[in-house]
Amino acid sequence: MGLFDGINISASGLTAQRLRMDVIANNIANAQSTRSADNPNLPYQRQRVIFAPIAAEGAFASILQGKLQAPGQGVRVAAVEKDNETPFKLVYDPSHPDAIKDPNDPNYGFVRLPNVDVTAEMVDMIDASRAYEANVTAVNAAKGMALKALEIGK
Amino acid sequence: MNPISTKTLDILERSLDAASLRQKVLANNIANVDTPNFKRSDVSFEATLQAYLDDDPPVLQGNLTHPRHLPIGVQPFNQIQPEIVVEDSTAVNNNGNNVDIDSEMTQLAVNQIKYNALIQQLNGQFAKLRTVIQGGR
Repeated sequence: MGLFDGINISASGLTAQRLRMDVIANNIANAQSTRSADNPNLPYQRQRVIFAPIAAEGAFASILQGKLQAPGQGVRVAAVEKDNETPFKLVYDPSHPDAIKDPNDPNYGFVRLPNVDVTAEMVDMIDASRAYEANVTAVNAAKGMALKALEIGK
Repeated sequence: MNPISTKTLDILERSLDAASLRQKVLANNIANVDTPNFKRSDVSFEATLQAYLDDDPPVLQGNLTHPRHLPIGVQPFNQIQPEIVVEDSTAVNNNGNNVDIDSEMTQLAVNQIKYNALIQQLNGQFAKLRTVIQGGR
């Protein structure tokens, strides 16, 4: 346990929330993209960030950490995953170059739009920015305490 | 009595340890505010210290003559340690996370003020010692 552990823990929160903000910004920017980077036949798929606490490496280390009564070590981004479950939005626009051209398809003439819900992304964005602020406050608290500790015996 | 290492200094030192540990635990709770299935932790120290102080001089104290003896009555001072407690019985969010950001931020502010107060007390103790050493000059 070091003097700067508190700051490092909050820094992991700052990194994670900033990455989440980047992913949300990418979702909003691509809300109308009818072609995805890896497959031109499919629209952009919404991405989401999965968080997990930073665990001590290995089973033994994590049990030892529990027994030693050490605090957790912050948060990490476990994965950035594509949302395969939410269906794409369908808009009827036969003149669109990416409209479904196959006459046998029941969705003939429809354009598939990304499964990005801009309202939900905005809500997530506010959540991420508030969580970021909370971590900044925690960094400042840790900083204030470390500086105060330097005043012992002054 | 050793004038440099008094019981007041001991108590202040332990309390500072507990406050700095609590800062880390709260920072970890705040960092994991969006982590699914994360359960918040807290530090329990003040109640143990209060129990020790209320029991001074001890009403009932078992004599420990072997390291593996179980303590009887309130724990002796050298056994009082801040302890991390995981609160896993509640759930605030749908995703199984029980971090309440308002309460975490409040506790963070409280803990910081408490830490500053403890440092001030500690400095007061040292100032007194210095006065004594310098003969009141």
